[in-house]
Amino acid sequence: MDTSSPGKALGAALLAAGLALTSAFGLAGELRRQAVKGSHQQPTPELWLEPSTPTSPALVAQGRSLFLDSCAHCHGADARGDEGPDLHGVQVSDRYIANIITHGIPHEMPSFAKKHGAADITALTAYVRSLE
Amino acid sequence: MNPAFWAKAHGAAVHFPLALLLSAGAIDAAAFALGARPVTRDLHAAGHWMTVAGALGSVPAVVSGLLMTKGHLLGHGALRMHHLFVWPAFALLVALATWRAWTGPHATRRMFVGYLLMVGVAAALMTAAGYWGGELMVAR
Repeated sequence: MDTSSPGKALGAALLAAGLALTSAFGLAGELRRQAVKGSHQQPTPELWLEPSTPTSPALVAQGRSLFLDSCAHCHGADARGDEGPDLHGVQVSDRYIANIITHGIPHEMPSFAKKHGAADITALTAYVRSLE
Repeated sequence: MNPAFWAKAHGAAVHFPLALLLSAGAIDAAAFALGARPVTRDLHAAGHWMTVAGALGSVPAVVSGLLMTKGHLLGHGALRMHHLFVWPAFALLVALATWRAWTGPHATRRMFVGYLLMVGVAAALMTAAGYWGGELMVAR
């Protein structure tokens, strides 16, 4: 190969970068197709009556901010569901919501116990509760 | 497979390209600054192979990340920010390693300045991607 030509070297570099990105995006597309095909997640109903999480616009706004950072990439920025389920109008208790956020669901959703403390989880629960 | 496995694999894999590219850039810049000295050739050789190894190491980092997110190319929130830096960094790293492997020791000094500038851009992109990746993992 002719290594003395700057143009050829630049062309090879651009070609390699394009191939790398195309391969990565192709793999991503296939993984997305498999994820959608294999998804069976639905909100689990729980109809217990429990005291509600104290809710205020500020708490909901804080929960929304936390949601966008930690949850939106699975549940969607509008919480309408993506890889994870739609969270609007979930028929579960606040304790159930907080419990799922804290402990996760084996093989489906990670635990956020290390990332979010009790105050964050209260805010996230308030945000999820505010979704109608 | 358990998504937690891919999260751990991604966490393990991403540090190789980060460390190799940043170190390669520093070594190459030092070699460039030193000029024609006996040690320069060795430093350039180290920079060369570290850049190539960094590009090769970025492949498992990208693949494990895609498996962890089940193919999300962007996502939302911190994940989106992470990906906005990851994809240009990945492409640029592969391009730089290919250019370096293609030209070998034949690059002119002027071309090498351009290369070092692009390594700096790639290093900045990877650092920003690493920052947002950290934001995904650690407590706020």
